[in-house]
Amino acid sequence: MLPSPDPRPPARPRPASGSSPSPPTQAGPVVGSALAALPRRPRLGIYCGGGASHSWLWMVDSFERLGLDDLCFLDEKGVASGGLAGLDALAVSGGDAFALAGALGPEGAEAIESFVRSGGLYLGSCAGAYLCLRSSKAPLNLFNFVQARISNLARELPQPLMLAEKFSTPYGCAHVFHPVREAVWLAPAEEGPWSGGGRFAAPLYGGPAMLPDDPCLAMATYADFHPRTRFLAPRELAEATLLGRAAALRAPLGAGWLHLYGPHLEHPGFAEANRLMAEALTHDLPDGPPASPPASPPSWLAGEAVRGLARQLRREVSNSRIVAAGLEDHPVRWRIGAKVYEPAKFRVFLEAAWRRVPALERASALPLAPEESLALGEGWQEITAGLRGLRRALEDSPDPGRDTTGQANRLFDQIKRACVGLLTLHFAARGPRGGISRPH
Amino acid sequence: MPYLASDKIAVIDLATGSVEELPLSEELLNSRIGGAAVAQALYAEHEEGDPLVLGAGLLTGTLLSGSSLGLISGKSPRTGALAHAPLTLYAGLEIKYSGFDYIVIKGRSAEPVYLWVHDGIADIEPAAEIWNADVWTATQEVRKAMGDELIQTLVAGPAAVAGSPLGQVMINFWASGDRFGLGSALAAKNVKLVALRGMGLIEINDPEAYVAACVGLLGELKSGGWAGKKGLMDLAAGLGEADFAAWLAPLAHRHRAGFNTPFAANTFVFLEGDPKELKEPAAPEPGVLLTDLDAPLSLMKLGLDAKEACAIIRDCAKAGLDAAGLAELAAAGGVKDAAGVRGLMSAGDAPASGPAGPFSPCAPDKAAFADFGQGGPEWWRRRMALAYVFGLDPVFALMSPQIDEAKLIELAEVGAGLSIAPATLEQVLSGLAG
Repeated sequence: MLPSPDPRPPARPRPASGSSPSPPTQAGPVVGSALAALPRRPRLGIYCGGGASHSWLWMVDSFERLGLDDLCFLDEKGVASGGLAGLDALAVSGGDAFALAGALGPEGAEAIESFVRSGGLYLGSCAGAYLCLRSSKAPLNLFNFVQARISNLARELPQPLMLAEKFSTPYGCAHVFHPVREAVWLAPAEEGPWSGGGRFAAPLYGGPAMLPDDPCLAMATYADFHPRTRFLAPRELAEATLLGRAAALRAPLGAGWLHLYGPHLEHPGFAEANRLMAEALTHDLPDGPPASPPASPPSWLAGEAVRGLARQLRREVSNSRIVAAGLEDHPVRWRIGAKVYEPAKFRVFLEAAWRRVPALERASALPLAPEESLALGEGWQEITAGLRGLRRALEDSPDPGRDTTGQANRLFDQIKRACVGLLTLHFAARGPRGGISRPH
Repeated sequence: MPYLASDKIAVIDLATGSVEELPLSEELLNSRIGGAAVAQALYAEHEEGDPLVLGAGLLTGTLLSGSSLGLISGKSPRTGALAHAPLTLYAGLEIKYSGFDYIVIKGRSAEPVYLWVHDGIADIEPAAEIWNADVWTATQEVRKAMGDELIQTLVAGPAAVAGSPLGQVMINFWASGDRFGLGSALAAKNVKLVALRGMGLIEINDPEAYVAACVGLLGELKSGGWAGKKGLMDLAAGLGEADFAAWLAPLAHRHRAGFNTPFAANTFVFLEGDPKELKEPAAPEPGVLLTDLDAPLSLMKLGLDAKEACAIIRDCAKAGLDAAGLAELAAAGGVKDAAGVRGLMSAGDAPASGPAGPFSPCAPDKAAFADFGQGGPEWWRRRMALAYVFGLDPVFALMSPQIDEAKLIELAEVGAGLSIAPATLEQVLSGLAG
């Protein structure tokens, strides 16, 4: 479900706010030994298409920090049209599970199933986990890959103690409900990739508690509440719903595996959870022949063209985040699909892009055709204009109740696409590890 | 990369419309430390383009109490010499975080423009639509266009556009400490304003030690004579102007400090509505923020009542006119009433002589609430030089003997990783203060 990183208008000087308490660094991999033991660097796909919220950016940050930096990004069309070929793993993070299933559709379900059956690894957290749990509800029933049930399901919804808009989501005749949010303690199962380890914390933003059936294996259970746990339901109900239930599980499917996480182990504020997630990932990665590297790009930007693009990106991402930061003081909220979005969400995308601009500025060449470069720059220009337009619509309109949902929805989509474009360039430019050779 | 810096200087050539980005060299930092001393060097380097240099002190925008100072340096239309005007409130902070340590503006644009400096980008934007706008309108229009209320503007108002030697660089809506007519120097370049916004971070050499040192210093500062006092009325009383508080008090609504400055040296007065009311006033422009004691104090001494005087200061703020200079001009001409003072607003005149020396006289000429063990013009200039190099609010610098040269050398080492030999500091301060 929709994670809330609780971004706030920052104090001066403004740090990069949003979802990442600690920005990714260029430091070496944290899971050094596990990664070093791999015969090759895995290529990971991150789903960022329909139904995904912003939490796929946490995957990006955490993977990059862990040294898993051969990343690519897929939307529903990419998944359905062969984009999974050559990948070792597909990561699907939070969002709206019904919307994810709807966007991916039967073609996406088939592609994912085929990918896993042929040895690929599916990594799903929160909505990405709900997606693959057993369900009778269409279109979720297209994705019945894991024999486990949701335990945080109720026919009669209890009264929320707070955050009513985050408390529940309709699920057929029942409701998926979320008795707590924020950090919880997880305990590793006695068997599996984390056996023998101590408890660790991870944030829960509406993800499932799971009841695995054979042949699923719990990797960790909800063990306790954390000082930072926020109770949306009475503690007794939260205990009965969560504690002892599976918070992380792995399930075989054909030659591959699915890893499902209720909490967001990929959240960059939880280093130990990140490390364990990567450890589990390396445990079940396909050990077949190396994935086919992506085709070399047809053309490269170099010299002044790179500097020009990097400068344009700095200008427009800066302009956008300045407007977006100014919008954070506005009380407006938008209901988009089943989710409630606030203006602070814009900056989660913008900060992810902003953090990668300096690396692009340092690049001597970028794998991009001139027309792609132009489109990327123009895309960001349009975002600046769109955000400024949204601000004017909110503040200058004679009608204070004017609905700006459509405008905001289009902007979220535009920002996500532009962010994907910039991130794709960033990871492609990182060199041979990304499977792309730079020209000399 | 140096600490407490963005490591970048922007050189904006208005004649060609080009922006060059240069690294902030360690040599410049080692020999000039920061603030006005670096601005002085950059001014000399680009003198052929009659530059205006924007910058901030070495420690501006940090946890050091009073570290709010930015500055604009350039040839004063009033004195014909290089002058440094203080930019306080939040303007200095925004310069520091704009992604540039210094911004050199040289040459003259063929068309009216404004500069949009943000996160290490300096853009030259057309300003025809706001060229004749008053300061308040220009600021609002640019904030609206760029989409953020936190944008800080340095504005040349209609007085500066008209070439008045009292054309002041204004900060957003209010007076800066520019007594040198640098607003007119900006307008002479066909630049209406500089809009600044930075959302970056600067790194501290030893963050924990720097925080500890600043917190420790704040503890010492709190025992100073200014503790428990605030606003222009208390400041005036501290300087021996006993009548000022009673004169202004009926209009005073609140007091406001610059970034991280313990003493709130600015006072907002209501010209409409009851300043004792706590609710938001109905009038959209209920008053004016008094940021320079000299203006209201001089107008009081001419015999104006507080409301008349503050209304004149408000209109000066809109026009971008140095109200303190206007009051000085009125006093020199023997003007004794509001109508007479207003009559001088559009005259385009200035007092016969400009400020003596390179530092703005907006800071009192003596210590306030404190005993430094010394005083006089030489001491004052050295104290100002210290404030303008390290980034201290110049008024607070006159209240805080605890922030001495040794302490600033220590903080520069811990915060910026810059080792300053006493001889270097001596050379830098002498080079600025004369």
